[in-house]
Amino acid sequence: MTATLTQPQSTRALSALSFGGILKSELIKLLSLRSTVWCFGLVFVMTLGLAGLVANASGGSGPVPAEGVQAIWVQSATIGIVFAQLVVAVLGTLTITGEYGTGMIRSTLTAVPRRTPALTAKALVIGASTFAVSLVALLGSGLLSAMVLQGQGIEVDFADASVWWALLGGAGYLGLLAMLSLSIGAIVRNSAGGISAVLGLILVLPIVLSIFAALAQADWVRNLSAFLPDSNGAGGRMFSYTVAGLPVPPDMILLEPWQGLVVLVIWVIALFALAGVMIKRRDV
Amino acid sequence: MIEVRGLSKHYGATRAVDDVTFSVKPGMVTGFLGPNGAGKSTTMRLIVGLDRPSAGSALVNGKRYAEHRAPLREVGVLLDAKAVHTGRSAVNHLRALAATHGIGRGRVDEVIALTGLESVASRRVGGFSLGMGQRLGIAAALLGDPATLILDEPVNGLDPEGVIWVRHLARRLAAEGRTVFLSSHLMSEMAQTADHIIVLGRGRVIADAPVADILALSSGTAVRVRTPEATRLSELLVDQGTVVRKGDDGLLDVTGLTAPQIGEVAARSGVILHELTPVAGSLEDAYLALTQDDVEYHAGGLPTGPASTVPAPNELSSNERVSR
Repeated sequence: MTATLTQPQSTRALSALSFGGILKSELIKLLSLRSTVWCFGLVFVMTLGLAGLVANASGGSGPVPAEGVQAIWVQSATIGIVFAQLVVAVLGTLTITGEYGTGMIRSTLTAVPRRTPALTAKALVIGASTFAVSLVALLGSGLLSAMVLQGQGIEVDFADASVWWALLGGAGYLGLLAMLSLSIGAIVRNSAGGISAVLGLILVLPIVLSIFAALAQADWVRNLSAFLPDSNGAGGRMFSYTVAGLPVPPDMILLEPWQGLVVLVIWVIALFALAGVMIKRRDV
Repeated sequence: MIEVRGLSKHYGATRAVDDVTFSVKPGMVTGFLGPNGAGKSTTMRLIVGLDRPSAGSALVNGKRYAEHRAPLREVGVLLDAKAVHTGRSAVNHLRALAATHGIGRGRVDEVIALTGLESVASRRVGGFSLGMGQRLGIAAALLGDPATLILDEPVNGLDPEGVIWVRHLARRLAAEGRTVFLSSHLMSEMAQTADHIIVLGRGRVIADAPVADILALSSGTAVRVRTPEATRLSELLVDQGTVVRKGDDGLLDVTGLTAPQIGEVAARSGVILHELTPVAGSLEDAYLALTQDDVEYHAGGLPTGPASTVPAPNELSSNERVSR
């Protein structure tokens, strides 16, 4: 028996490295940093606060056409995502660049020398926790904005499944964005550089493309931005609420929410795969 | 047991580790010695797979480090005291590492007690002194109760009490039959701790032998003599076929006779001695003799010729310190 190998006072069994253990380790790491608490707190404040404010402003601006009520409700509930995404991008990047910056990565990769399981566990943990926190925050925002709208005499339809799908999609967008940011952080290995790269991708690149599209008068450039991961591109389609029968401009690509999900998942898989190859090959 | 075979690591044209072969055996403390920049840390990182070798292999307990089912249970590593996230508390750092291998909270508390970190365990590591960081690194290395320990400069930043603690810990772990491999750039440290020494210079192994053998490499065995009759004594000693170097204040460095023999010569001639100190086998001397051609970075202005065995001010041998 292996029990003789352990120290006499110790009763622990000889356990080995396991993926479940690595997941638990990454969860301990995420929850034991103040920055995580701050970032998740900010996600709550931004989504709930903006939901209340925007619902209040929408209700006060005169009579609302019946078919627009649901759209206004979803818009109020999800408006905070545009700001929360910045916090999530920073948190996702820091999850790994913080380890490179402090040297923690050497401890991590000594404990998990095959490396890929550590990166995978990190991605799953940051993705799942961001999704869970965002989902609670967005459901709260949905209820809060519904209450504010109803307080102003605007009745929303709780039985409309599309609203709940949009809120779920918003949480999914933020969860996937956290994983995308982590992947970019793992490639760049530097906090300032990683955060710049992620914000460049979700904030600057769409603007650059739209300027280019306007200058070149080219629809294909405009359509290209529909496939970017940001909240105005594919990511944003995940929490959009489409009013039925609204005309779509010709030659414009408008992704369905599920198509937005697929595009974003492809972005995450591609960047994660690149990060996986690089973390395996590079010296630490 | 660590077996390194033909290990090399090149960074462009620089050969940080150049075709290094050695074994580190269980049941003893093996010192890994070399000047800064000799490639000690790189070799240790190569052993645990943090760096990829350009050539060669390193096996720990018969397998590559990454191939073990429970790496932390095979090898405990202290590579760098700064391998910790500064925003996390010591106990959470250890809990996170332990979790990967399903090591319980009980063992975390054990290593915290073992390294004397109880009072600071819940504080964030960012506020730790170098010495506390070093203790935390050692606690992490001990988590898996490993059969092999690799400690890179473990006494760096420790106070004298901490240095003695590390020394005793290393000796105890080796006495338990474990493989203990620790590096230092200070020979005096190794003299107190190691049984066997591997000296690295410019990425190559320049000595691999028991401590006693390394001592014997020391260029001659000298005795320091202080006497008011320096000139007379030196004449007497030169007649005996010794080499005598005269210093200030009636100080003589005598090579070729033992301290008792010199004392007898002086007594026969009635020469008064104020001091008679064997500076024999200074490991520093041996070390400097071994590495003088292999130091990567020489201090500017110091002579670098082969005759230079001037110890750096902070690396005076223990014997010299005792004699003051």
